Amino acid sequence: MDDPEMALEYFDPLLRTNDLVQDLKWDRELRARFESSEKQVLDAYPLTAEERTAILDRDFRKLFELGLHPYLLSQLARLIYGTGETAGTSGAATALLKSLLGDRYDSYMAERGE
Amino acid sequence: MAEISVAMAASHAPGLTGWFDKAPEADQRTVLAAYAEIHAALVESRTDVLLVIANDHIANGLVSDYADFTFGTAERHTGPDEWFKPWLRVPDYELPGRPDVAEVLYESVKDRAPRVRAVRENLRYDDNLSVPVTMADIVSTGVAVVPVLQNCTVPPVPDERVCYALGETLGEAIRTRLPAGLRVGLLGSGGLSHEPGGPRYMEIDEKFDRWWMDLLVEGDHEKVLTDATFERMEEAGSGGTAELLSWMVVMGAIGPRPCKALGYAAVDQWRCGFGAVRWDLS
Repeated sequence: MDDPEMALEYFDPLLRTNDLVQDLKWDRELRARFESSEKQVLDAYPLTAEERTAILDRDFRKLFELGLHPYLLSQLARLIYGTGETAGTSGAATALLKSLLGDRYDSYMAERGE
Repeated sequence: MAEISVAMAASHAPGLTGWFDKAPEADQRTVLAAYAEIHAALVESRTDVLLVIANDHIANGLVSDYADFTFGTAERHTGPDEWFKPWLRVPDYELPGRPDVAEVLYESVKDRAPRVRAVRENLRYDDNLSVPVTMADIVSTGVAVVPVLQNCTVPPVPDERVCYALGETLGEAIRTRLPAGLRVGLLGSGGLSHEPGGPRYMEIDEKFDRWWMDLLVEGDHEKVLTDATFERMEEAGSGGTAELLSWMVVMGAIGPRPCKALGYAAVDQWRCGFGAVRWDLS
């Protein structure tokens, strides 16, 4: 990419989605509820409407711009799309990149020969 | 007076254990040889306790209340943390700790940097400790471990000079405040270039990595501190490359000296440059 975005430029430590992802990582029971009734789990957190919608829409780009830490962004992708690495490029990583790069995704991957 | 017995650093990308076989065989051999050398150096140096300076990937705290340096003072350290198991695919491990050593070192630096903590409970270990423990087979050496987890990704990050100075204080404390005869090893765990979760998630900045490795081999630490700044690391992969700050802590503890490169590999599928070094302590 010509002018790479800095991954931490939007980071906001006060964005509550950061804490939600941490809680999901640390609490197996909460994780199970997130899988079975995601909306209920989201309702229990003081998220803004924008955060809530972005999570439900799997709009990682929006969450990135709202201030979710990129490392936690990748872990949210894993929570949603699975942690298993069946290949070098996992489903979670692909979904995350597609969202982050938007229209640029296809040309970016083609440029990399993938 | 205790003595620094060995000083090394290596990358710990989760791909090294989780999906090792996705790399070309030559690169696999590079990594195996480098970690085998780390294992051999640990044994040959008769190290009693190994200080592992490793990155905390937001595994132990909320981003709004995040420690810059966390000393693990537990009697035993177990891992990996449950959340990371399917991803790292390493066997469970248990290492003897050294609460006495950890406490002395924590006390020596707690006022020298912002947000320094000591934690008695077992910390959550992801690739930071789990990959070197597995790849260098540290359990079989019987060496006790003191983990020092370090913030390198939640702004404001303690930069290269803060980390180097903290390393200097640690080195001084090892030499003057720990029991005579104790042999303390140092291992920096983290880096090289990568950008976890960011737009350049799939990219490795091989040019930066090779420049960094050459710079370290040369051994001019003032040049390293002037040229390999936190900002330069961010340019080579934001939020990930700065894991190299763990190497800076080790460098501060031992002072300017050249090192030997144990190997380098850039494998896209691992999503992180691999490099390892051993400093010349003679």
